Amino acid sequence: MAEFEPNILTFNCNWCSYAGADLAGVSRLQYPTNNRIVRVMCSSRIEPTFILEALKEGADGILVTGCHIGDCHYIEGNVHTDERMKEMMDALEHLGLGGRLRLEWVSAAEGKKFQETITEFVENIRALGPSPLRKGVDD
Amino acid sequence: MSNIQLCYQCGKCTAICPVRRVVKTSPRSTIYNNTVYRTGSDDIWNCLTCGLCYDGCPQGVDYPEFVKEERDSKEDGDLAHKGVFTLLTDMMTDLEESRTSLDEAGNTDSKIGYYPGCLDFHDMFFNLDVDFRSIADSSMKLLNSIDLDPKLIKMKCCGHDQLWQGDKGTFEKLKDQNTKLIAQSGIEKLVTSCAECYRTLSQDYDLPVEVVHISQLLKDADLGIDSKTTVTYHDSCRLGRHMGEYEAPREALASAGSEVVEMKHNRNDSWCCGVSSMMNCNDRSKALRKARLDEAKDTGAQVLITTCPKCLAHLNCMKDEQESIEQYDYDIKDLTVFLAEQMGGK
Repeated sequence: MAEFEPNILTFNCNWCSYAGADLAGVSRLQYPTNNRIVRVMCSSRIEPTFILEALKEGADGILVTGCHIGDCHYIEGNVHTDERMKEMMDALEHLGLGGRLRLEWVSAAEGKKFQETITEFVENIRALGPSPLRKGVDD
Repeated sequence: MSNIQLCYQCGKCTAICPVRRVVKTSPRSTIYNNTVYRTGSDDIWNCLTCGLCYDGCPQGVDYPEFVKEERDSKEDGDLAHKGVFTLLTDMMTDLEESRTSLDEAGNTDSKIGYYPGCLDFHDMFFNLDVDFRSIADSSMKLLNSIDLDPKLIKMKCCGHDQLWQGDKGTFEKLKDQNTKLIAQSGIEKLVTSCAECYRTLSQDYDLPVEVVHISQLLKDADLGIDSKTTVTYHDSCRLGRHMGEYEAPREALASAGSEVVEMKHNRNDSWCCGVSSMMNCNDRSKALRKARLDEAKDTGAQVLITTCPKCLAHLNCMKDEQESIEQYDYDIKDLTVFLAEQMGGK
């Protein structure tokens, strides 16, 4: 059996984190290719159902990134994200999927932080092993 | 199987349907179209399955049962909270580890089990001032005070919502898994504090154990309280019309020294809270909830008691929403929480 490669879904907000990921790209910073980025207008667009649906479809980990608190393009969208994701992490803990969701604030200037976050998260998930919901998902 | 063939089209169901008061829907014509033309109808997604039509039907046509069968394996209607609870329970069926998260183990050798249901998930996704977990704590406290000494049964969700939302496959999985867990636990009596769990576990499951609602144990119990509070009781559809238990919660309240005043619509005429099985929480059902809150206000009671966490959540949510334009001078509480509070530190 081939070595386990985690499938990571990353949600990036349009105004900070996506630009941050862009910066990581143009700065030629190397990071694992296990993640797929979904751009959303604001991190508060991410509903609890998005996370659950992704896990149900076989994602091993989900990384949610947004602007730093106080920097949100929509003033306080990320405050709601913060609240919501904490509830989500609690819920996933009870389902036996603890540690598979991570929230991180990445600004447009933090390409380096984006690289480090992804590298670290991929390693964390690799250590956790495949999600129990992952059934024969092909890469 | 539902018995809609018995329907002789008198239309009494449509006349008393609570949803009919706020939106154009007709159980009678839904049955007619189904039996005569074999066509479906969107009305089955509007139905709250509260059972008021069944209760009033001269022929005893079980319309909620018909709706349940019709919904099976069709695309979901209007799910509340974007279906987050549905997804959670769906995932539970595939995850071995997932259980209710409450920690109190109780007396692990007991022959009596207490099942809290999905209270912990309510706490996570409702931004309300209601502490749902306290229902479980209060229930354990009350059961201990009448020397039943239960143990907490850690099961998955009972599957009530999935069954009524038409996802029978998930329900069957949950049923199998829970039946096994109950058999392993070695209990003889299962106590629930939730009206929906009570209905599902006793009617839709095939359990070797006796299932009781906590109010049925508390009605004869002497809790040593003399609360002297004026309360009114909201009959939840699952405990009332579905299971026929109207008196136990009232007796439990009366034996605790509370004065129970009745709303205009009570017992089998009780109005629905507007949301059952996490469906149809919209402007229409909010109108129903407002009407129910107004009825409770007219009684002048200090506390509105209910036995179903869904009623508790949705009536409280509506009360919060209305606070800016209308004053409701009463609290809405679960039966067990109310009684445990009255017991105080004892």
